[in-house]
Amino acid sequence: MGNRTAVFKPYAQAVPGAFSISKKDKSPCTNACPGNVNAHGYVSMIGEGKYKEAMEIITRTLPMPGVLGRICPHPCEDACRRAQVDSPLSICTLKRFAADQVDINDLTVPEITPRDEKVAIIGAGPAGLTAAYFLALDGFNVTIFEALPVGGGMLRVGIPDYRLPPSVLEKEIAWVQKLGVEIQYDTVMGKDITVDSLTEEGFKSIFFGIGCHKDIKLGLPGEDEVENVIPGVKFLRDAALGDMKEIKGNVAIVGGGDVAIDAARTALRMGADKVSILYRRTEAEMPARDEEIEDAKEEDVDIQFLRAPVEIVAENGKLTGIKCIQMELGEPDESGRRRPVPIEGSEFIVDADVLIPAIGQKSDASFLKNTDGINLNRWGNFDVDQITYQTSREGVFAGGDAETGASIAIAAVGAGREAAISISRYLKGEDMAAGREKLEIPQQNFNAIPQKAKKIPRAHMARIPMDQRKSGFTEVELGFTEEQARQEADKCIDCMVCCECLECVKACGAKALTKETHEEKDRELELNVGSVVISSGFSPYSPKNLDFLGYEHRPNVITSLQFERLLSASGPTEGHVVRPSDHKEPKKIAWFQCVGSRENNRCDNAHCSSVCCMYAIKEAVIAKEHDPDLDASIFFMDMRTFGKEFEKYYIEAKEKHGVKFIRSRVHTINPVGDSGDLEIRYVKENGELIVDIFDMIVLSIGLEISPELKKLAKQFNIELTQGSFAQTATMNPVETTTPGVFVCGAFQGPKDIPQAVVDASAAATAAGELLAPARNTLTKTREIVPERNVIGERPRIGAFICHCGANIAGVVDIQALKEYIQTLPYIEYVESNLYSCSQDTQTNMTEIIKKHNLNRIVVAACTPKTHEPLFQETLINAGLNKYLFEMVNIRNHVSWVHKANPDQATEKAKELIRMSVTKVGLKAPLKEAKLNVNQNALVVGGGIAGMSTALSLARQGYHTHLVEKEDRLGGQALNLYKTWKGEDIQQMLDEMVQQVGSEENIQVHLSSTISQVDGFVGNFKSVISSKDGEEVVEHGVANISTGATEYKPIEYCYGNSPRVLTSLELDQKMMANDPMVNSVECAVFIQCVGSREPDRPYCSRVCCTHSVESALEVKKRNPDAAVIVLYRDIRTYGERERKYIEARKAGVIFIRYSLDNKPTVRVEEEGVIINTTDHVLGQPVEIEADVLTLATAIVPRKEEALAQYFKVPMNADGFFIERHAKLGPSEFATDGVFLSGLAHYPKPIDEAVAQGKAAASRAVALLAQGTVTTNGEVASIEPMSCSSCGTCVSVCPYSAPSFIEEGRFAGKSEINAALCKGCGLCVSSCRSGAIHLNGYDNDQIFAMIGVV
Amino acid sequence: MSKWEPKIIAFLCNWCSYGAADLAGVSRMQYPANIRVVRIPCTGRLSPKFILSAFMNGADGIWVSG
Repeated sequence: MGNRTAVFKPYAQAVPGAFSISKKDKSPCTNACPGNVNAHGYVSMIGEGKYKEAMEIITRTLPMPGVLGRICPHPCEDACRRAQVDSPLSICTLKRFAADQVDINDLTVPEITPRDEKVAIIGAGPAGLTAAYFLALDGFNVTIFEALPVGGGMLRVGIPDYRLPPSVLEKEIAWVQKLGVEIQYDTVMGKDITVDSLTEEGFKSIFFGIGCHKDIKLGLPGEDEVENVIPGVKFLRDAALGDMKEIKGNVAIVGGGDVAIDAARTALRMGADKVSILYRRTEAEMPARDEEIEDAKEEDVDIQFLRAPVEIVAENGKLTGIKCIQMELGEPDESGRRRPVPIEGSEFIVDADVLIPAIGQKSDASFLKNTDGINLNRWGNFDVDQITYQTSREGVFAGGDAETGASIAIAAVGAGREAAISISRYLKGEDMAAGREKLEIPQQNFNAIPQKAKKIPRAHMARIPMDQRKSGFTEVELGFTEEQARQEADKCIDCMVCCECLECVKACGAKALTKETHEEKDRELELNVGSVVISSGFSPYSPKNLDFLGYEHRPNVITSLQFERLLSASGPTEGHVVRPSDHKEPKKIAWFQCVGSRENNRCDNAHCSSVCCMYAIKEAVIAKEHDPDLDASIFFMDMRTFGKEFEKYYIEAKEKHGVKFIRSRVHTINPVGDSGDLEIRYVKENGELIVDIFDMIVLSIGLEISPELKKLAKQFNIELTQGSFAQTATMNPVETTTPGVFVCGAFQGPKDIPQAVVDASAAATAAGELLAPARNTLTKTREIVPERNVIGERPRIGAFICHCGANIAGVVDIQALKEYIQTLPYIEYVESNLYSCSQDTQTNMTEIIKKHNLNRIVVAACTPKTHEPLFQETLINAGLNKYLFEMVNIRNHVSWVHKANPDQATEKAKELIRMSVTKVGLKAPLKEAKLNVNQNALVVGGGIAGMSTALSLARQGYHTHLVEKEDRLGGQALNLYKTWKGEDIQQMLDEMVQQVGSEENIQVHLSSTISQVDGFVGNFKSVISSKDGEEVVEHGVANISTGATEYKPIEYCYGNSPRVLTSLELDQKMMANDPMVNSVECAVFIQCVGSREPDRPYCSRVCCTHSVESALEVKKRNPDAAVIVLYRDIRTYGERERKYIEARKAGVIFIRYSLDNKPTVRVEEEGVIINTTDHVLGQPVEIEADVLTLATAIVPRKEEALAQYFKVPMNADGFFIERHAKLGPSEFATDGVFLSGLAHYPKPIDEAVAQGKAAASRAVALLAQGTVTTNGEVASIEPMSCSSCGTCVSVCPYSAPSFIEEGRFAGKSEINAALCKGCGLCVSSCRSGAIHLNGYDNDQIFAMIGVV
Repeated sequence: MSKWEPKIIAFLCNWCSYGAADLAGVSRMQYPANIRVVRIPCTGRLSPKFILSAFMNGADGIWVSG
């Protein structure tokens, strides 16, 4: 919807906020060019009307644009992908167009550093001229020796003037000469000069580009003696040089190549009465260009096919005709063309006054002597190295037709350039071949062909009228008009995306982008690492293959990821939701869930993608916030909002926002005429068929693993699950099957952000456990510049204004700002810089601060949020306290947002600077205190999560106190039977408890609780109480993993019968091999007992999987048992979904109930009777069960005391609140206190282990620092003014203020700088004005307000 | 009166609104140049006295955002 150019920033808030260039595989046109001319580049420039720039691109690799633009057989066009839309672009003629617009001699001659070495080039043809051009650019002294009196070689004497006017060629030869190349004409090799003589004259290197100027003979008797038999190449040369002016009578030409056609059309123009071409095959096999054949035919050249000459017929030594034999096509020969076979007895005579054999030409190097040491191959061509073009004699090179045999000019250009590179390296003593191996460039990944591309016929050049054509040598083709050229160039589909025009390099004033960075490629680095973490994520499922959805065919069917971009303020429509087809605001949107998830038939993703239900609800809610009238419907199978606070969000979406939730999997989307609207049909739960029309449909696409990632997994020898996610074990949830290789994020299984963040920390700590001994071995210590004491000094303010290229300077009048700032008080120094953030400006600033003895700095540039730390670093380097600094945002807040009003923008910039200058004068140096971090840890709670944290900390060398209130470790895991993966939990738990027991660094405190906590991050002092007394421990960090309990139901007759159990009780019975479960005939499970109820509006996350697993276990023990699960939504997220499938396959019956129609249970003698309504039949059913299992909620312990000790919050349900729901799930907002396990939210064992490790990871990040540095910009209290009201103590969210307990100021409040976040809440709340916020104090802010 | 332009002083929280103003710039959204921004660490820092002081110093409108 929005257009992105090749140079782009992914989106406005992207991190890093840098630009990238998209390059796909090399554009086929450029790739196909033997001369490596950047066709894509110059075509783009022509499309933009930048003709000079087009010429600059061409002349990077080709010195003769006008020539090649006329005569090149353009392999580029054969490769052009536009052919898939209509026809290839006229790339060749576009090149000519550029050359016609810009005189090549008007281009700027590049700066050349002259060198002493002399190079001789033999032959001024395309190869020789090109080699000379590039050598001259490299500074060498180049002389071309040419046998003919004119330059250009075959271009001049082989191509007739009506195709290539000599003036065009001469102009381009002049350009080569302009670079300093000297050309000596009429200098014949072997006669005037030799290899030895050149060497003697001081030429250090020689290049042979002598072309193929010798005709191949027909091999018929009389060919050399009979008058008027003129070889084709000689004929064209004589005509070009004016040695032959006229030709009369019937002319017969033998051959089918370009020379034959050129000879024919030249003969016509020289007065021939009739011109015939005799060719031994058919038109399809003719090597001449199709355009040329057409032109010849238009000019009445008689082309006769399947004729081969057998005898020259002459009378008295004068030609009268040529005897031919009729041919027919036989089997294909080596060249793939069908071999002509003579028909016996079919000879006939073609009358002819002139015969021009034009069957080919070869190179003539007969001037070489054996002693020259230059080898020729069996065809008489130069034998060269295929990369360097060096001959068998060192320093002598050859290329072009002389090396390949007769070929096309652009190939000779390519060879000339390659040889020039070799010669240059040779003369500089460098390795000639290094890095020049001919690589196969893959040609697969291109910019997609736009679906909407209209078919536009290929442009054709106008031509001169026919009578003018035949009567002279005026150029036939007239080139494109500007309109034609622009239109033709605009057809380019930018295969590579970036066309490598390098205009961006010119535009980048900061020189961040250079030719080298532009050409940066993937590099291979070898790293020595002790561990690997793979966090390569997932690939969004592409719904292309689900044809019934019509994705990509119907513009208003989009994916959820595309919809995310539509909602985003930095998206293509700046957050304005419109539908793609007509940019109308949609009034009715449907979301289809499980597209590419839970789907085994049409795709291979049996797993649940875990995140789609929640993101679809979020998208619907945000869309409704944009437009409250929007009709939003989500079509789903099971609503899986199993994350923390997700169920509440789901309820709010339904009840508060009015999002509709429809339980149905829609099959087909049909377009409604051309309106863009979409009609769907679906069946409601009651069986009713509904037809509905939507403006737009969003496909909630699933997560899957890309083939590349599977390949990577193979390289690491990692085993994958059925769904191709990395295989991990419950107790090692982030370790792959290859030791030392860890995994986090969606590659481990589909998951949301909080879980991915937990895994990431866990993987980091898992690697840390392995590598603990290597900690701090690769660190560097920075040199510290001593800080200058400025207290008592009069302010000496330095102001630095940034142009930010044209970003600021383009709008704001920098000069006016400078002049204005000079007038402000205490200003000592003002300067402006193109880019203040550049490295050299930073160095310069350091010097200026020292030189001018500045003690306050103001930088007027971009936003302090990104750049303040950089400039503060500069202050530190200059010996200034970093807080003596203010930044003025004159880019984001001024130049970018007031573009149309430069005057007002300048005025605003002046005022903002005045405010900051005033403030900075009042700023004082601030201290950042460093406090040591106690290296011990405290873990409260000895369940799976707590043990996981403790083990991780201990393994990394930190002494850990593990406090458990029960008399044994294990927590809730002690009650559990098996994981969903089938692992025996008791066995795993035993191992873990043993590991804890044998870990020296862990001190286990059983039957103990915490009774008091003092201190703050790095310096806690806690009291551990047990029946044996109290123990005080000092620790730097604490982890809370106090777990949760099982809900004991009051409903469903729990407690009235031994047959009614909770899930944990059933597990106990299974572990004990209780006959009751082994012989059960009918087992019923009721889900969501106590969860997702008004009292507990959260999902307990683990119960669906647990019941499915238990149901399977019952079936395993007694396959004939009837097993029925009564559920609301089955939430077997991720690959747990496979268990759900397995259960259904095993015959477990799933019956859905709703919250307003819950099952009823009564206990009778023979069993438990359950009444419910079957959701498929809509009929009441009665089930008599032997065992009824209630999947009860997980209930938090509501550890109020602990929460108060550590000053950490709890939510309404009683779960602890983490620092950040997404980005800080395993730590508290209170520094130094961490969180894991069920105390955070219900979770299965693998997630508890991961979070335990994650908490340890976050803790180690703090412990390993050894010290904590407080922020300077914190609050401080003047005890003399404090009235001890306690407001600050109660308002602070971080518990930084507290009452002084003893001494002179006992009862007054004080701030702990280590805890203060500098928000200033206490400052504005203080009734006595006793609190100051350093860096944002009242006087500073009043001063700013005062000068507005 | 028609040429009168109000002078608005904005107290923006460093973490949200100040960042949003940055983003408005990144997105090249255009708005009138009458606003003077005072960056504060949190709207919790905003003392009512700042508002009074701003009015006393000639502000026509105060915008607090955080």
